[in-house]
Amino acid sequence: MQPQPNHDESVRQDFVTDLRAFLTDEIYPKITPYYEKNVESKFIKEKNRKPKDKNEVRDLMLKDNAYQSWSLLQRLSQQMMFTSVIDTVERTLDDLIERSKKNNDLGSLKLDNKIDMPRYLTAYDIHQQPGGYHTESTEDDVSPGVVYDISLPIYSRNSMGSENDLLSQAIIGHIEKYIDNLKPEKILDMGCAIGNSTLPFAKVFPDSEIHGIDVASPCLRYAHARANALGVTAHFSQQNAEKTDFSNETFDLVTSCLFLHETSHDAVPKIINESYRLLKPGGWMIHLDVYPFHRDAIEPLYDFLKDWEVTNNNENFSGALRNMDLPKIFEDAGFSKESIEFTSAEAVAKYTKGYTGDFYLKLPIYLAQKPHRQ
Amino acid sequence: MNSKIELPRVAKGKKPIYLDERSIDNLMAMIMTLTQEISVLRDRLDTIEKLLVNKKSITLEDIETFEPDDDLIKERKDRRQMLLKRVLLPIDKELEK
Repeated sequence: MQPQPNHDESVRQDFVTDLRAFLTDEIYPKITPYYEKNVESKFIKEKNRKPKDKNEVRDLMLKDNAYQSWSLLQRLSQQMMFTSVIDTVERTLDDLIERSKKNNDLGSLKLDNKIDMPRYLTAYDIHQQPGGYHTESTEDDVSPGVVYDISLPIYSRNSMGSENDLLSQAIIGHIEKYIDNLKPEKILDMGCAIGNSTLPFAKVFPDSEIHGIDVASPCLRYAHARANALGVTAHFSQQNAEKTDFSNETFDLVTSCLFLHETSHDAVPKIINESYRLLKPGGWMIHLDVYPFHRDAIEPLYDFLKDWEVTNNNENFSGALRNMDLPKIFEDAGFSKESIEFTSAEAVAKYTKGYTGDFYLKLPIYLAQKPHRQ
Repeated sequence: MNSKIELPRVAKGKKPIYLDERSIDNLMAMIMTLTQEISVLRDRLDTIEKLLVNKKSITLEDIETFEPDDDLIKERKDRRQMLLKRVLLPIDKELEK
């Protein structure tokens, strides 16, 4: 389903990949020694102590032109990535929409044009994708989904596999290793966007019924066409994960990949409660997301740099999610206390096509089990 | 086929100021886009050179369908790194202080 970039678009996109590599490999490693030698030492001279937290580091670094130059370049590289990808999508959009209409025999697609878009998606465009996941520029639009799909390899330096599906391999790997006898009949992937993390479940559990929900219709149209093009059966519907129309106890497994940090403080407990409601007794909820705050040995500079995406790349809620007490929210929702776990899961590449293996991934997952019926 | 649909090009959200003022930030954005276009031109020239080694004349289609092999991909990557090293030298040096 992906469009073919022309010669110049292709090398323009390659430039962004290489710019991001240059900023990460050449420039970024210089920040810590630069900070220690120039910024922190000056602070120590004046105050006779080190900066005590990320807020003090931030005050110093935002005034420092060398650091800010890297930060600006990093931000610009994201903008350039989207611009270079949008060129291709805009040029080929008529054809993409035609193809998406033809590719629909497998699975299903249910859209709801009356859905209320949550403010956390409309107030700003997450990770600076112009128009976000949801904006429709024409009838039957699929463009936000396509833009997302072809920018992912540039963003991740080709580490996600040719079907951009490495993330859910971490969840699958964890299930295979640690959760005995989970043979889900029905699986729900929340905030599925283009379904790139949804489809691997269909490959690993071929007898199960796979559902993906999202609020963004253009992504779901693309998700359904993409699944068809890849020959995978999955059911996509336009629904808010805070409150869905599925019946109680429908699913054996509820998952999400990098979804919670794109919601809000109010939405997270609602999503967890909904996960609980939808699970059958004994079913599992597994959300893959950002590392929680308390896990890190708090080095103020590291702590400050970890928040870079929050203010510079429109990941506004990711910092706040780190500070939320998720185990408490899980327990309040009804999940069995002894099952609640935060852990690092290894992404296994065995189901991922085109994986080059030069980028090792360990991803944080949060999991909990609904108690068995007494 | 040419689509008339225009897609959004600017992301909604806060726009922090990074350097001394917004106009300097804008200059940096313009310089990086120009650098990108130099890289695009260089790669296009490179494609034409590679095609002309084997042929007397080439068509636009030859250029559009040209697929670089692994060696050429690596060569282009290295050249872009050199271009970036040169363009971003002042910032690189500043951080090495």
